[in-house]
Amino acid sequence: MDLVGLAFYFLAALIVISAAIVVFSKNIMYSAFSLMFTFFGVAGLYVLLNADFLAVTQIMVYIGGILVLIIFGVMLTTRITGVDVKSNSLGKIQVGIAGLLSTIIAISLIVVFSSTKWFLSEPKVSGDSTKLIGNELLTNYLLAFEAASVLLLIAIIGAAFIARRK
Amino acid sequence: MLGLDQFIAELNKSISMFLPETALVIAFLVALLLDLMFKKSKNLTGYTALIGFLVTGYFLFKQMNMQSTAFSNMFVIDQFGIFMKWVILLSSIGVVLISFFTNELYEKAKGVGEYFTLIIGMAFGMFLLVGSSNLIIIYLAIETMSLSSYVLAGYTKEVKRASEASLKYVIFGAVSSGIMIYGISILFGLTGSLNLFEINRFLAANPVNNFALFLSVIMILSGFGYKISAVPFHFWTPDVYEGAPVPITAYLSVASKAAGFAILLRFFKVTFLDSVPGNDSVWTLLGSIDWHFVIAILAVLSMTLGNLVALWQTNVKRILAYSSIAHAGYMLMAVSTMDDAGVASVLIYFFMYMVMNLGAFYVVALIANNIGSEEIDDYNGLGYRAPILGICMTLFLISLTGLPPTAGFIGKLYVFSAVVKAGYIWLAVVGVINSVISLFYYVKIFRNMYLNDVDSNKSKLTYSPASIVLLFVFAIPTLYLGIFFNDIVKWASYSANIFMGK
Amino acid sequence: MTLEYIPLVFMLVFGFGIATVFMYLSEILGAKRSTKEKNTTYESGMTPFKTARDRFSVKFYLVAMLFLVFDIEIVFMYPWAVQFKQLGSTGFIAMMLFIVLLLSGYIYVIKKGALKWD
Repeated sequence: MDLVGLAFYFLAALIVISAAIVVFSKNIMYSAFSLMFTFFGVAGLYVLLNADFLAVTQIMVYIGGILVLIIFGVMLTTRITGVDVKSNSLGKIQVGIAGLLSTIIAISLIVVFSSTKWFLSEPKVSGDSTKLIGNELLTNYLLAFEAASVLLLIAIIGAAFIARRK
Repeated sequence: MLGLDQFIAELNKSISMFLPETALVIAFLVALLLDLMFKKSKNLTGYTALIGFLVTGYFLFKQMNMQSTAFSNMFVIDQFGIFMKWVILLSSIGVVLISFFTNELYEKAKGVGEYFTLIIGMAFGMFLLVGSSNLIIIYLAIETMSLSSYVLAGYTKEVKRASEASLKYVIFGAVSSGIMIYGISILFGLTGSLNLFEINRFLAANPVNNFALFLSVIMILSGFGYKISAVPFHFWTPDVYEGAPVPITAYLSVASKAAGFAILLRFFKVTFLDSVPGNDSVWTLLGSIDWHFVIAILAVLSMTLGNLVALWQTNVKRILAYSSIAHAGYMLMAVSTMDDAGVASVLIYFFMYMVMNLGAFYVVALIANNIGSEEIDDYNGLGYRAPILGICMTLFLISLTGLPPTAGFIGKLYVFSAVVKAGYIWLAVVGVINSVISLFYYVKIFRNMYLNDVDSNKSKLTYSPASIVLLFVFAIPTLYLGIFFNDIVKWASYSANIFMGK
Repeated sequence: MTLEYIPLVFMLVFGFGIATVFMYLSEILGAKRSTKEKNTTYESGMTPFKTARDRFSVKFYLVAMLFLVFDIEIVFMYPWAVQFKQLGSTGFIAMMLFIVLLLSGYIYVIKKGALKWD
C-alpha cells in the first residue's frame, strides 16, 4: 500500500469512528465534539482528491462555523447543569424501526457503491484548484453564484428575524 | 484564454432572458431597504411586493413565445415554465392581497415588513426552480424557497403552534434536502454531469447501473416530493399548514406545490426522454426502469392517505392540508402518464386549483378574523351568520371536490381523461373512488355551516366591503372557469411542450 | 501533488502529539496534594456565587449564525480574488452584485439592532 492509500484508510477510519460516536454517544456534548473529527477527516479526503480549496473551505466553514453553531445550540437549548443532556429517550420500537431502515439503506448504498461503474473523468490539470473554481464560478456557474448570494441574504434576514427578541 | 468575449456576448443574452427574476430580486432589495427606512408605515413592503409582481408580470408577458436556454444551459425559458411562473406570480399576488385582510398577521407579529419581503424572496426561489435545468440550481432554488418559507411559517412568533410548525418544517426540510443532495451526488457520479441536458445525452449513449440510477432518482424525488407534499414525504404538511398564518398556508399549498411539480415534470422529461423515436408528445423514456409505475404508486399513496386521514380531522386548516396532499396525488396521477397530454392536464389543474384553494383559505382567514378559530365545531351556523362567506365557501368546496359547474371539475376532467387516454384505467378508478371519499369531509364543513346550530342568535360576522371584493376575485373565476374553460385549456396545451435544449 | 501535504501531516501529528504527551505527563509526574482550599474555583479570589455552566443567551447563536453567513461569503471571494485579472470587468461586476446583496443584509442586521447586545 502506498502512502496515499495509507492516508485514505486512516482518514476513513477517523471519519467512521468519530461519526459513530456522534450517533451513539449518550452525551450530546461529546457528539458535538466528535463531529469535529468527522469534519477534519472529510477535509483530509478532499486533500487526497486534490481539492485543496474545498478542504480549506471545509475547515473554515464546517469546523470554524457550523460546529461552533452546533455547540452553541446545545448550550442554549437545555439546562446543562443537573440534567445530563442525553439522546437516548427513544422507545424500543422506534429504535427497531430506525435500525431496520438504516440497515436497508446502508446495504443498498453498499451494493450501489460496490457494483456501479462510475463515471471517471480525465484528471484535470493538477495544480491550483482555486483558480479553476474561480474561472468556473464567475463564468459557467455565474447564475448559481448570484443565486447563492440571494440565498445567503434570505438566510441573514431569516436568522435575524427568528432570533430577535422583538 | 477563457473565451471571455464569447462568454460576455452570451451573458448579455442571458440577462435579457432573466428579466422577470431580476425584477423580483430588485423588488426584494427595495422592499428590504424601504422597510428599514420607513418603520412606521404598515403595508409599505406589501405595496412594494405588489408593484414588484406587476413589473415581473410585464417582463413575463414579453417572454410569452420565447424558448431558449440561458447562463450556460443552467436556466431554461419555455412555454411550460412561463405557464407555471404565471401560476406562481398570480398566487403570489393573491397571497399578498389575502395577507392585507388577515388580522392574525397584524396582531400576533411585530410588524409585517419582513413578511412581504420574504414572500418576494420565496417567489424568486420558485421562479428559479421552475426554470432550472442544472442540479445545482435546482438545489439552490429549493433552498431559497425553503428558507423563506421556514421563516414565513413561523412568522407569528408569539403563537406557539406557529413556532412549532416552523421548527418541524425546518427539520423535515433539512432531512429531505440532505437526502436530495446525496441523490444528486450519486447521479453526478454516474453521469459525470450536473446539467440535465448532458445527463440525458449521457444516458442515451451509455448504459448505467439501473439500481444506482433508481436509488439516486428516488433520493432526488424525496426533495421534490417534499415540496409537493406527496406521501411519503408529507409528514410536515398537516402541522405546518395548521400552525402557519393562513395566507402562508395558502401560498405553500399552491405556489410552492406548483414549483415542485414544474421541476418534477421538467426533471423527468429532460433527463429521461429518449429523443430517437421523435414523437415528443408521448415520451419514450430511456433505460429500463418503469418510472410511470413509481410515480403512479406515489399518486395512489398520496390520494388515499390524504383523503382517508382528512376524514378524521376537526380543524379546517388540517382538513385543507390533507386535501392538498390528496390533490397532489391527483396531479401525480397525470404526471405518471408521462406524455404531453398529462403535462397539459397538470397545468390546467394547477390554474383551477390556484383559484379555488386560495379562495377556500381566504374564507378561512376571514372567519378566523371574527371568531379566532379554525376548529370545525366553531363553524356551526356560520352559513347564517355570514351568508356571503358561507356561499363562497360552499362554492370552493364543491370545486375542490371536483363537481360541475366549477373550475375543479374541469381540472379533474382533464386529469382523468389524460390518465385514461394513457391506458391507466386502474389508476383512474382509484382516483374516482378517492374523489368520492373526499366528498365526505368537504360536506362535513358544509354541514356544520348550514345544518348545525341553525337557530343560533349569535351576532353576525363583520367584514369590510373591500374584503368581499377580494373574495369575489376568487369566487367568480371558480365559477367562470368551470363554464368557459377553453382559453385556459388552449393555453395549457400550447404550454405543455417542455424545452429539450438545443 | 499530495506529497506537498506531508509537512502539514507532520505538523498535525506533532501538534496533537506534543499536546497530548504534555497533558498526560503533567498528570503523571505532577505532585497531587489535594486540599479543600485548592479545590475551590478561585483559590484566593472571589467565591463563586453561581454555576458557570449556565444557559447561553440566544444572542450568541445569532452572532454565530451571522458569522457563518459572512464566512461563506468570504469563501466565495477567494477564487474570484485569485483570478481577478483574468476575469476582468465582468467578474468584477458579478462580484460587486454579490457583495451588494450581502451588504444589504448587513445593513438590515445593523438597522434592526440584531447585533445590539441589550
